[in-house]
Amino acid sequence: MHSLGIDVLFKGTNMIRLLKGLWVSVEISLVSVVISIVLGLVVGVLMTSQNRGIKAVLRLYLETVRIMPQMVLLFIVYFGSTRVFGLNISAELSALIVFVFWGTAEMGDLVRGSIKSIARIQYESAYALGLNKFQVHYYIIFPQTLRRLIPLSINLVTRMIKTTSLVMMIGIVEVLKVAQQIIEANRRSSPNAAFGVFAVVFLLYFVVCWPVSRLAASLEKRWA
Amino acid sequence: MDVEVLKTYLPLYNEAILLTIRIGWLGILAAFAIGLLGAVIQYFRIPILKRITAVYIEVFRNTPLLVQLFFIYFALPKIGLRISAEACGILGLGLIGGAYMIETVRSGLESVDRIQSESALSLGMTRGQVFFYIILPQAFSISIPGVVANVIFLLKETSVFSTISLMDLMFTAKDLIGMYAKTIECLFLLVVYYLIMLLPVSIVGTIVERRARYAQFGD
Amino acid sequence: MKKDLLTRATGVFTAATLIAGVVTGCGSTAGASSVEAKTDSAPASSEVYRTLDEIKESGTINIGVFSDKSPFGYVDENGEYAGYDVFFAERIGQDLGVKINYVSTEAANRIEYLQTGKVDIILANFTVTEERAQEVDFALPYMNVALGVVSPSDAVIESLDNVGADDEIIVISGTTAETYLEKNYPDIKLQKYDAYAEAKTAIENGNAAGWANDNTEVIAFAIENEGFTVGVPSLGDSDTIAPAVTKGNETLLTWLNDEIKAIGEENFFHADYEATLLDTYGADYEDTLVVEGGKVQ
Repeated sequence: MHSLGIDVLFKGTNMIRLLKGLWVSVEISLVSVVISIVLGLVVGVLMTSQNRGIKAVLRLYLETVRIMPQMVLLFIVYFGSTRVFGLNISAELSALIVFVFWGTAEMGDLVRGSIKSIARIQYESAYALGLNKFQVHYYIIFPQTLRRLIPLSINLVTRMIKTTSLVMMIGIVEVLKVAQQIIEANRRSSPNAAFGVFAVVFLLYFVVCWPVSRLAASLEKRWA
Repeated sequence: MDVEVLKTYLPLYNEAILLTIRIGWLGILAAFAIGLLGAVIQYFRIPILKRITAVYIEVFRNTPLLVQLFFIYFALPKIGLRISAEACGILGLGLIGGAYMIETVRSGLESVDRIQSESALSLGMTRGQVFFYIILPQAFSISIPGVVANVIFLLKETSVFSTISLMDLMFTAKDLIGMYAKTIECLFLLVVYYLIMLLPVSIVGTIVERRARYAQFGD
Repeated sequence: MKKDLLTRATGVFTAATLIAGVVTGCGSTAGASSVEAKTDSAPASSEVYRTLDEIKESGTINIGVFSDKSPFGYVDENGEYAGYDVFFAERIGQDLGVKINYVSTEAANRIEYLQTGKVDIILANFTVTEERAQEVDFALPYMNVALGVVSPSDAVIESLDNVGADDEIIVISGTTAETYLEKNYPDIKLQKYDAYAEAKTAIENGNAAGWANDNTEVIAFAIENEGFTVGVPSLGDSDTIAPAVTKGNETLLTWLNDEIKAIGEENFFHADYEATLLDTYGADYEDTLVVEGGKVQ
């Protein structure tokens, strides 16, 4: 009976490589979320606009994000863009583009939702007090919107980290690909390594995502 | 774009969409069953089972489906548990979907006012009757938008099935690109087929959501 | 690192508009026709590849290799690329006087990576075929190969004609084995994986009746894993393996061919075999596998 392959991870720099792979995923998610929040605020405000043209375009955008799997978007950006536009986009940048494309839509929708959820009377009272349009948004609406948004955007971070597992498909060496490389390099000495290594990857994702989603849940409860 | 190429690929994509839909819906059914069961356990606060359900939800909501599938399909056979790729796809989708469905159905159940069950009980209905005739129907209509969102999410997630050798839409596109390098045609068909599969669900979802909202407010 | 993220981030803004264009373009028929107009002329209008001089000037060459196909291209426990293909790649880097950036590839991505200029050379056990030669330019060969089938020793497949109706054969997406089986044995059910690591784990786990691939690879697998036998050692035509560059990249192709001839003088590929493959195959396969100086015996 061979061991179940946990020992493989302590050979050479295997464990460090695995953690580095995980960091690649976390990094892509964090950068994407930060950009998504900024763009999402803009898109969210635009979504509350009454302009039919803007509405239709944003509707199409939202619907695209809602329907297309992220993996399809990754393939379109990574392989398709070179074919169609002759642009050569690196795998990391492709991932970032897709995650921001997706994140901005989600954030935008959340922003729209939280702006709409603020009672009309607040606007009216604020205007009645003599505040101008900018002041109303800056002092009254945004602070409240932001408080509702923070837990939701933290949640988006965990979803992005989970989705980064797909970037392996466009050749980014992240934690899952490193896992496969380790299994492959040790197939002879440790044929059951697949169990131990994949179990550890499973655990790593959980260890990263769980605390973050708990945080989001508790903030949501506190600020609800 | 070469129309002839598109034509030769069509049958392959047709097969792929059928497989995607078949496995997708079986997985979603499993997810719904798990969701209902788990939500009931949580709603009635059944000891021990409640704990297990909570742990299950956290584990499957905080890990990617791709990693779950890799673990079930490639790792578990090492300790003697082997299932076919199709069963693995259905199981994986059912498990991750179940974790989301429990939350959706449970919040539906909890949004039905407790006074309703108290009134029903005082009218002489049994606990079972109260649950099935009073709580569940209302909870169901409240959770519909959430359920539809989950269904779309799960159908999208099927795109990772390709990694465990299931010939779904994503796999067919990747495979054809690898063999014949007709990238544009393959990606175009991929987008079209996902639209065919998901647009109707999305539209139905929007309509149902509107209806459900009316039902809630007593049209 | 920070700066790196910033440059990536700025790229996103410009590219965000781009993806919207791609997605909507694919969704509507109006967009589709403009796509059509562009695709056919795309490679000609803008060269996606880098010439020899451009590579030298940049100081780095991008080489696509496998990262999970031991003993040809894999990553060892210290995170270094290694194997028969990589040994050759190292030499290329050395003789060009540039650093090497290894790009991990899957079989199905190899043509795509070249055509989109994401790598300069593919050195990923790439079998020369007519279909592929229409898409990319192959240099002189450095290895012989045919197809083979490995199966569990208790149910050895000795001929593909005897594969049962319910039995599945594993192939890796985008390999010659896949194309060959689809063409010549359309009735055999195939189980397809993206990565070598996945295919090997699947056959180990007993998910299929056999695995068809380059015979080099299945022989290595049978040697390294107890309980597996290569029942079909040679299938189809014998082919060669060669480096590939983007179609039209004459300068790099010429340099590669000269390089292969030059290092043939010193029996480089025999040394490569002895450094990377001897452990797996023993000395018996050295003369059948190695192609020296680009000349097939």
